[in-house]
Amino acid sequence: MTTRLRTLATNRLLLLGGLLAIVFLGVSVAHPGYASAQNIRDLLVQCAPVVIIGCAMTLVILTGEIDVSVGSMMGLLAAGIGILSSPERLGLPAGVVVAAVVAGGILLGGVNGMLVVAGRVPSIIVTLGMMTVLRGVTEILMGGEWITDLPASVRYLGTGEPLGLPLSIWTAMAAVVATVVVARKTPLGLHIYATGGNSTAAAMARVHVGVVRVTVFAIAGLMTAVATLVSVPQQSVIESGIGVGFELLVITAVVVGGTSISGGYGGVAGTVLAALLLANIRPALLYLDLGDRATFWERAIQGAFILAAVLSDRCRWFRRADGKAVTITTGGSP
Amino acid sequence: MKILTQVLITAIMATVMAFTATAVATGAVEPSPSKRITICLLPKKKGLPYFTTCSKGAQQAADELGDVELIYDGPTDGSPEKAASMVDRWALRGVDVIAVSPNDPEVLGQAMKKAREKGIRVITWDADAAPATREFMVNQATAREIGHALVDAMAKDLGSDQPEGKVAIITATLTAANQNEWIKYMKERLEKYPKLTLIATKPSNEDQRLAFQIAQDLMKAHPDLKGIFGISSVAFPGAAEAVKQAGNSGKVLVTGLATPNDMKAYVKDGTVKSVVLWNTVDLGYLTVHAAHALATGTLKPGQTSFTAGRLGERKIEGDQILLGQILVFTKDNIDQFDF
Amino acid sequence: MKLLSLARRWETVLAAVLAIVLGTAAWLDPAFMALSTQLELSTHAVELLIVALPMTFVILSGGIDLSVGSSLALAAVIFGLSYEAGAPVWAASVLGVLTGSLCGIVNGAFIAGARVHPLIVTLATLAAYRGLAEGISLGRPISGFPDRFLAIGEGSVGGVPYSLLIAVAAVLAFALTSTRTVFGRRVYAIGSNEIAARYAGVPIARMKLWLYGIAGTVAGLAGIIHVARRNTAKADVLPQVELDVITAVVLGGTSIFGGRGSVVGTVLGVLVIHEVREFVGWRWQRDELILVVVGSILIVSVLAHNLVARRAR
Repeated sequence: MTTRLRTLATNRLLLLGGLLAIVFLGVSVAHPGYASAQNIRDLLVQCAPVVIIGCAMTLVILTGEIDVSVGSMMGLLAAGIGILSSPERLGLPAGVVVAAVVAGGILLGGVNGMLVVAGRVPSIIVTLGMMTVLRGVTEILMGGEWITDLPASVRYLGTGEPLGLPLSIWTAMAAVVATVVVARKTPLGLHIYATGGNSTAAAMARVHVGVVRVTVFAIAGLMTAVATLVSVPQQSVIESGIGVGFELLVITAVVVGGTSISGGYGGVAGTVLAALLLANIRPALLYLDLGDRATFWERAIQGAFILAAVLSDRCRWFRRADGKAVTITTGGSP
Repeated sequence: MKILTQVLITAIMATVMAFTATAVATGAVEPSPSKRITICLLPKKKGLPYFTTCSKGAQQAADELGDVELIYDGPTDGSPEKAASMVDRWALRGVDVIAVSPNDPEVLGQAMKKAREKGIRVITWDADAAPATREFMVNQATAREIGHALVDAMAKDLGSDQPEGKVAIITATLTAANQNEWIKYMKERLEKYPKLTLIATKPSNEDQRLAFQIAQDLMKAHPDLKGIFGISSVAFPGAAEAVKQAGNSGKVLVTGLATPNDMKAYVKDGTVKSVVLWNTVDLGYLTVHAAHALATGTLKPGQTSFTAGRLGERKIEGDQILLGQILVFTKDNIDQFDF
Repeated sequence: MKLLSLARRWETVLAAVLAIVLGTAAWLDPAFMALSTQLELSTHAVELLIVALPMTFVILSGGIDLSVGSSLALAAVIFGLSYEAGAPVWAASVLGVLTGSLCGIVNGAFIAGARVHPLIVTLATLAAYRGLAEGISLGRPISGFPDRFLAIGEGSVGGVPYSLLIAVAAVLAFALTSTRTVFGRRVYAIGSNEIAARYAGVPIARMKLWLYGIAGTVAGLAGIIHVARRNTAKADVLPQVELDVITAVVLGGTSIFGGRGSVVGTVLGVLVIHEVREFVGWRWQRDELILVVVGSILIVSVLAHNLVARRAR
């Protein structure tokens, strides 16, 4: 059983890596500019917030929960950045803003977690509700105005390039490393997998299932705050629509990355590869220059691509009624 | 018994919730006493500075007139269905005038027609719907004028009678009715400049980051790109920021529609040479005056002008109440405007 | 039996919430509660209600369908395009509804045949179907439908809108199916314990194909009704309606893990959301407030019920 899952997971990573290579190399052949350092850098910057939140979302989904409020949370935290830092509003120094936004993120995530654990409300309900509430609160806070005068110190979070790489890429790398370490090398990681695999069994094995759940939601809040801090100040304007639909992007990356939606298996590596792959689709279509009519088909192509990515390993792995895997010979190798 | 307690407690909770909602809604509108005129101002999307500035002008007019109850509300996500539901509700409440900026002329037109059947006076402002669905339109610029002004501004900024090069459009969504109308006329106007070629029209889905990325990609995939039109409120700053960060300020020109305050920084550093718009505060102001005049009977079909407070005499052509001309904000004049 | 009484209790809670919302409304603004007003406002919830019915079945079976809004849009666009191409309006409607069915069956095939998790399949088709609608219509709105067709969306008999009658008929059909038929029992069986249901001889794959097929078909029907109501077929109709639908179903007490819930609960869930939205919009004229109140009601009502239920135990 475990071997089969492991094979499946490895297959998924190979598959995503392969697809990524094909897309990237294919477009680069058609348009050499695609392989330029500048473009690779832009692609990574574009992925960074998806990867950062995706790391946390992977942990949330590994425990068998889900968080659809991250997009609205991002919107609220972005409004927070603007209101706290803009000289016309509160004009607080950047350090205070960062601390407040991080604390706000952990708090919001913690509230989600507490409602799930202590309130025993299913996470989909809690976060679906939060998604609407936080969006409404953001609209009320912004009051129909934009914030366009972010101080340079805050803009640096989005545009600064320490050691030659944008801060968001450094942060994303740190987030991936930290999450992999937590997931693989710490008791918390083990407990996350155990909770998602079978929470009753985990509880019997003295895993504090509730604590684990609250922690992963708080991590999701923290990572959302971090992603907001390094991605939103890249733009000059803070408006109330920031983060709309972002949760879908992140969840898509996690599930395309092979993490089981019912929890228990999967990992960050898949999420990162999937985020990179998904980030390539739209620019690839732009570089290929398929013409105006093709633009209207972009969304359909994206959907088909996601479907193909999640289905591709299933073609070989139809399971029989008794739950065992069977290899369908026409599907090829393994 | 348990069930009873439970229902009771839930009932209490829900009542508390209802009261909290009441308390939160500080801006609650009291049902209007008889002689006051209730005017509803519906923007395409609530929360955009463009419409917020309009609402400020509208409030000025309402304060001046004294007997006006102004309601400003619209869908925060810009959905035409929600906007139509609001028109339905206002019609059922029996307000006096509804002024609609339709995000989708057909969807809103249907609701406006129903409102008129109930005896509500309906006008459009900012954008128009079919003539049968409203009495007047407060017109700041037609789609045709906007489309032409955008292309002309770009051509002028590129700096010759026959500017050359590739340009691209970053729009809101592929289904945005207004933007699609502008694009139609932009294409029409581009024929006047045969050496300007439109290489792409890309949707930004009302997402600043996406507009930013698209602008980056367009510049890399087409190194000889000369200009980008950012024709949605968040696509414009997103595209400008991409050009600025790529160090292409002045080399790739960005233009579009925006309130001057929101684009001041880009105009000053040369990334954007012209911003096209009109006086939005005056637009809201004029709309409320027109609605008021219509409700009190001083504005009737066939008139060729009417007096709108501090704006003085305003021309009416057919059923179009004209605000005045399209403004182009540049480095030289942008500081004169504060909205 | 215990499960049944639990469900019944939740419905009582919802009915109480609804009564309080309406009571508050009647107290603050009696005009809102006038029958004619309520009947006219009811058309705003028709699509939500009829799509929530098959969604209840899907969620009862332990699945989910995120693509209903996109299927709805694709059906509307196919309807519009075929009418524009000269098809009679009834034929175009049938074609539209069938488009919805096809969308659902494709979902079902991937879920039942390829055994991919429904969330993943419908997350992909959520993008794909909207994208198809956008692609084939090139983002253009289609309108100008004949009056007798628009009557479906706007006409009424004795003050009761036709679209509301369609919705009521759909509610009855789904309520009876869920409680009185083998099909209904099987839906609950799959959601409670899929493996046990399989051993009990429930044809799981065929049932799932049906469930998602029905969800698509009803979404198609809702698409046609929507076009009749607003006279426009367009790829972006009712954005994110799937979230509203799922919110209504879970507020209605259907367990997101399947097996528990009822059609009556869903109807109450839709009513609570609808009345809150309409009243907050009616009274306070602030769209952002609707978001806050609807979201809070979802969390607080489930939370309150859980806390009380635990204390009572």
